[in-house]
Amino acid sequence: MYELLRQACDTARAAGCSFADARYLEIDEQTLASRDHALAHNNESRDRGIGVRVLYRGAWGFASAPGYEPAAVDGAVALALDIARASAYAPRADGVGWADEAPWQAEFHSDYARDPFALPLAEKADLLLAANEVMLHNPAVKRAQGYLAFRRVRRWYVNSEGSELHSDVTSSSAMLWAVAVGDSDFQQRSWQAPSVTRGFEAFDRAQFVAEAERIAAEAEEKLTAALAPEGTFDIVTDSENLSLTIHESVGHATELDRVMGYEVSMAGGSFVDRDKLDRFRYGSEQVTLMADNTLRHGLATHGFDDDGVPGQRWPIVEDGILRGYSTGREFAHYIDQQRSRGSCRADHWSSIPIVRIPNLFLMPGKQPLSPDELIGDIEHGLYFEGMDSFSIDQWRLNFQFGGNAVWEIRNGRKTRMLKAALYQSSTPDFWNACDATCDERFWRAHGVTNCGKGDPMQVAQMTHGAAPTRFRGIRICRGRD
Amino acid sequence: MERQQAQDFIGDILELPRAGELQVLLEGQQRLGTRFSGCAISQNALRQQVRLTLSARLEQKKTSLTLNSIDDREQIAQAIERAFATCRHLPDDEELMPAPGEVIAQAEHTRRGAAEAISIDTAGRWVAQACAAGAAADIDLAGLLATGNNFTAYGDSAGGFAHERHDRVDYHVTASGDTGSGWAEHQGIEISRDSLMTATRRAIDKCLAAQSPRVFEPRATTVVLEPQAVGDLLAMTAWYGLDQRARDEGRSAFSRFDQRLGRLSLYSDPAHPAFPARNFSNDGEAVGRGTWLDHGELQQLITSRYWARQQDLPAKPWPTNLVLDGDGTPLEELIGDVDDGILVTRFWYIRATDPGTLGFTGMTRDGTFRIEQGRVTHPVVDMRWNESVLNLLQNVSGSGTPVATGERFPLVMPPLRVERFNFSSLSQSPPSIG
Ligand SMILES: [Zn+2]
Repeated sequence: MYELLRQACDTARAAGCSFADARYLEIDEQTLASRDHALAHNNESRDRGIGVRVLYRGAWGFASAPGYEPAAVDGAVALALDIARASAYAPRADGVGWADEAPWQAEFHSDYARDPFALPLAEKADLLLAANEVMLHNPAVKRAQGYLAFRRVRRWYVNSEGSELHSDVTSSSAMLWAVAVGDSDFQQRSWQAPSVTRGFEAFDRAQFVAEAERIAAEAEEKLTAALAPEGTFDIVTDSENLSLTIHESVGHATELDRVMGYEVSMAGGSFVDRDKLDRFRYGSEQVTLMADNTLRHGLATHGFDDDGVPGQRWPIVEDGILRGYSTGREFAHYIDQQRSRGSCRADHWSSIPIVRIPNLFLMPGKQPLSPDELIGDIEHGLYFEGMDSFSIDQWRLNFQFGGNAVWEIRNGRKTRMLKAALYQSSTPDFWNACDATCDERFWRAHGVTNCGKGDPMQVAQMTHGAAPTRFRGIRICRGRD
Repeated sequence: MERQQAQDFIGDILELPRAGELQVLLEGQQRLGTRFSGCAISQNALRQQVRLTLSARLEQKKTSLTLNSIDDREQIAQAIERAFATCRHLPDDEELMPAPGEVIAQAEHTRRGAAEAISIDTAGRWVAQACAAGAAADIDLAGLLATGNNFTAYGDSAGGFAHERHDRVDYHVTASGDTGSGWAEHQGIEISRDSLMTATRRAIDKCLAAQSPRVFEPRATTVVLEPQAVGDLLAMTAWYGLDQRARDEGRSAFSRFDQRLGRLSLYSDPAHPAFPARNFSNDGEAVGRGTWLDHGELQQLITSRYWARQQDLPAKPWPTNLVLDGDGTPLEELIGDVDDGILVTRFWYIRATDPGTLGFTGMTRDGTFRIEQGRVTHPVVDMRWNESVLNLLQNVSGSGTPVATGERFPLVMPPLRVERFNFSSLSQSPPSIG
């Protein structure tokens, strides 16, 4: 399969390119969506194509074409060269730094037990329809919805330095929603199944049914929940809620391309300038955030990235101090590193690789600590579960996040449900207010399947994780008057 | 692909053996994206794609298959056979409607303007000229010039056919100085070098004016929102609030709200000259003009064909653009009537905080200024706001002339003056790049 890709790189080299790489991708997807008692959507897609990237006299060119035909590959190389020549009208004054990397010949296969693409449709549909049935059994629920997505990406990658790499990654994700309607309000409650690089074995029908029953009951309870109080409170976040906060306030903030201004016109920059490396207190001593693109079943675990660099594990924040960034080969030199962290990915054969958030998680506490004990130390506070409203400024400082379900904590116990609660803080203030996180028994992973970045936008996936965690003295406001 | 060629291609597919009703959607995209940062071209990419979606319906069962190659007839025939075989395993969906079978005329306006003429070389030269203007002013410029030539064709076995070419230009630019930034855009179906440079200079001027911002203690105050801010918020509102069925079933902010929402009209019109858009849906329905707010009065909202049949209403498909009309008051006059307030260039990261009241949050960015005694006096540090669109529309006290905006969804929006807009917390003065 490498032959045409190798030719593409050879042609580019012969034309004077200092670097070239070529990818061929086979992307198979199936998405199913349920609406009440029906399967409202079922689509299978088959998508194949190549992307060719060249570095010519310090300027980048990228072109893509559907399929894998010799003429299309030749055409893409020629176009990529034309595009690089046009890029050279406005070259970077200091050139393109490009970190060295050994030539690799390797394969990576994610493992799965049950191939979702080989299963009968009925079994997949049943998972969603059984859950909807249970949700609609609750009379307050007027709309039940579910979503299942399976994706398989087979990738062949060759670069002009001699790398020949192949990966075959299958991922599965699912979500359920219940919308309850009352006389004076409506409320939604959702549950996200594990989103992982696994097959259908990731899903358990009994769990779907149990979660469906729970979210239906909690959607109903939300209808009559009291409005959240406003003021300063201690809060506890569950692992899913904190996963998104990690993503937004740490993951994006420590992408080195953002720090260097490459994304400033769209996704924004970052407050984590390079002077902060190894100095800045990002959070309290309880806070250690590890990046790990070798994490088994992690959504960002692909063996190697689209720069041809193997997946790695490295600290972003260690005992509260900033220790690292996510990089690609073009960016490592900005922090005087010889090697890329291997975190540069493209979402499609027609997309340019860009620095992406790796699998990134808050390490569990070292001392035994249960959620009951964590909550037990709070007199009056709020417990946030699941992902809801989330918004952060373009420097990744001022943020405001909600929860899909929020409970009031009184005298060390989770009590009644609240609605419209939001926690608002600034990234370093928030992470420095962290005083405890539960131990590894309570640690859970959560996949993010819709991370948008780039211009035009690319959508990437990665896994986060945390145990329930406590933050002291956080401002609470609400989304409803 | 031109209309006749698309019609022949889809006609051939519809001739293939099939067990039931077939809908064929063919989408082609060619897009050059020239991206720059630090006054240099940082990414430059050409995307060429074609997608063929085959939707098979057997009575009340439907499924679809998408391919990205269209040359292999055998593969297409197999895909159709497979889709109908899959259908048999599906539960019935009582809401499923037959294919519309409508022949939709080619839109009157041609989208084939300057966008088609911008070559790879031209895009590089124009962006280089913008970058040079930034470098000359010692300002860091970053942005994107994207030009696309797309087509969409639809045909169904009930006799329906539609085809359209749609050109698209998206230019936006952020100018960053040490302590503040400015932003400008040019959206639509065509662009010239002059209009690109005009937007670039607007971003640079805004950046120069935005240096050394001062803190404005967040509170409810009068704001003048430029078109991007208005559009970003109303596009979110459409997503959360404009579905008629959700309204009828109690799942919408408009289910329990029937007051007048100010005096402006919100509508969609694929033929709007400022930002024309697709005039048919992916399901083969004609998308015509739809009015959602008529001088502040709520109208029948987006209505699927199923819901239209149930409620005995006309169907109103999802719009392909969104227009808010305005009074045509010049921006200077909108500002001139403000004693104490804030001028907002751009909103960012808007998310719903409470769908039940159309409550949203978001940030200001890239040029936020204090207005005092009818004049813009100094830049202010960016702020977060929390505001309900129901309140906002009722609090509009002035509006300008609508212009094209919207990077992802075509919008035509005026600047607005809004009373008692709720700023809730402070960001920080922008840290420096790097
Ligand atoms: Zn993201």
